[in-house]
Amino acid sequence: MNTRTARRPLWLSALGLATLILFGVGAILALAVSPPDINQGDLIRIMYAHVSVAWVCFLAVGMTALFGALYLWRGRPMDDVWSVASAEAALFFGALTIIGGMTYSKPTLGVFWDWDAKLTLTALLVTLLVGFFIVRGLVDDPQRRGRVSAVIGLVTLASLPFNYLAAEWFRTLHPAKSINLDGSGITMEAAFLGILLFNVAAAALAFAYFLFERVRLGRLEVQAEASEDDPPPTGEAVHV
Amino acid sequence: MSSQGPFADLGFVAAVARKDLLQELRSRAVTVATLFFSSITLMVLAFAVGRESALMQQAGPGALWVALAFAGVISAAQSYQSDLAEAAYEQLLIYPIPRATIYLGKLIANWLTMLALGLVLLPIGSVLFALPLTPGLPLLVATVALGTLGFALIATFYAALTANLQARESLLPVLMFPVVVPILLAAVRSTDAVTRLGNAALAGDWLQLLAGFDLVYLVVCTAIFHFVVDE
Repeated sequence: MNTRTARRPLWLSALGLATLILFGVGAILALAVSPPDINQGDLIRIMYAHVSVAWVCFLAVGMTALFGALYLWRGRPMDDVWSVASAEAALFFGALTIIGGMTYSKPTLGVFWDWDAKLTLTALLVTLLVGFFIVRGLVDDPQRRGRVSAVIGLVTLASLPFNYLAAEWFRTLHPAKSINLDGSGITMEAAFLGILLFNVAAAALAFAYFLFERVRLGRLEVQAEASEDDPPPTGEAVHV
Repeated sequence: MSSQGPFADLGFVAAVARKDLLQELRSRAVTVATLFFSSITLMVLAFAVGRESALMQQAGPGALWVALAFAGVISAAQSYQSDLAEAAYEQLLIYPIPRATIYLGKLIANWLTMLALGLVLLPIGSVLFALPLTPGLPLLVATVALGTLGFALIATFYAALTANLQARESLLPVLMFPVVVPILLAAVRSTDAVTRLGNAALAGDWLQLLAGFDLVYLVVCTAIFHFVVDE
C-alpha cells in the first residue's frame, strides 16, 4: 500500500508532460501567432498569461472552500488535503495574477498599481490565503487544523463578492447601479479569444497537475501522521 | 436542545451577552483602555495628516474608522481572553446550548461595546478634524451602528478561532482586516458623504452595502461557528 502510493502513477507523469506541451503551445500562440492588438500592440500578449492565471486562481479558491465544506460535513482527512492543495494553487496563481497585472498595468496605464478592482480583489485574496496558511502552521491537531482552515476557506469565498464591490466602488468613489462581473462591454475578436481560451486551458491543466501531485503528497502525509500516533484517526469531527 | 420552546435559545444569547457586558461594566478594563487607545490613534493620525483644514476634513472619516477598527480588534480579543484566563470558557462550552448562541451573545456584547466607543469617538473626531456632525446625525448613527456590527461580526468570529493560538495578537488583525475591507470602505465613504459632502443619497447607497455585508456574515458566521470552537 505504501509503496504503491509513494510512487508517482504513470497517468500523473503523463498529465505533467501534457501540461508542459500545452503550456508551450499556448506560449507560442500568444507570443508569435497572435496578431498585435490595434490599441495595445504587443502588450496584448501579456493579457493571455494574466487572464488565464487569474481565472484559474478563482477556480482554485472555489475548490478550497468546496473541499473545506466537504471536510466540515464528512470529516475525511483527504477532503482537507484536497482543500489545502487547492489553497496552495490559489496562492500561487494569485501571486502570478498580481505580478501579471502589475506588468500589464505599467505600460498600459503608466503605473504599477492603480487600485483596479480586480487587482485589489486579488491582493486581498492573497492576504486571506496567507492567513489561511499561517493559522494552519499554528494548529497541531489535524482535525482542528482541518476544521479551522475549512472555516477560513469558506469565509474567504464569502468575502470575494464584497471585496469586489467595495474595490470597484472605491475606485469610482460612487456605488455603481449595475455591475458587470464579467467585464462585459469589452468585446474580443475571435482570434484573440481562441488563443486566450487555449491559454486558459493550459493554466487549468497546470492547476490540475499541481493539484493531483499535491494531493498525492498530502495522502502520504496523512498516512505518515496516522502511523505516528495510534489509534489512527478515522472519519470523525462530529459536532452537534 | 432546549425544552422551553423555540425562543429559549434567545434566552441563552441574552445570558451570554449579559455576562460579557456585566463583566465589562464592572471591570471597565477594555473600555477604558480602548477608549484612550483609539483617541490617541485619532490624534496621531491628525498629526500625520498635517494642518491644512481641507485635507484634515477629507482624512477625518478614514482616521475615525481606523481608530475604531484597531480598538475593535483589541476589545474582541479581550472578550475571549478574560474567559480563558479563569477557565470560564471551557465551562461555557460544556453547557448544553447550541454553540451559535455563544457566538451571538458575544457578538451582541462586542457590538454594543464598539457602538458605544464609536459614539464617543464621533464628537472627538469631529473636533479634531473639523467635521460637522449635526446635519445628518441619524445617518451618521446608522453608519456607526452598521459599520461596528460588521466589525464585531468578523472580530468575534475570528477572535474565537485565534483565542488559543500562539501570536494571536498579531494573527487576529491579519485574518480579519482583509475580510472587513468592504466595511471599512463603505463606512468611511458613508461618513464622508454625511459629514463633508452632506450627500444623504450617496450615504444611503453605502449603507446598503453595509447592511448586505452584515446580513450575509451574520448568517455565515452563525452557521459555521461551532466548527471554530474547541471541544
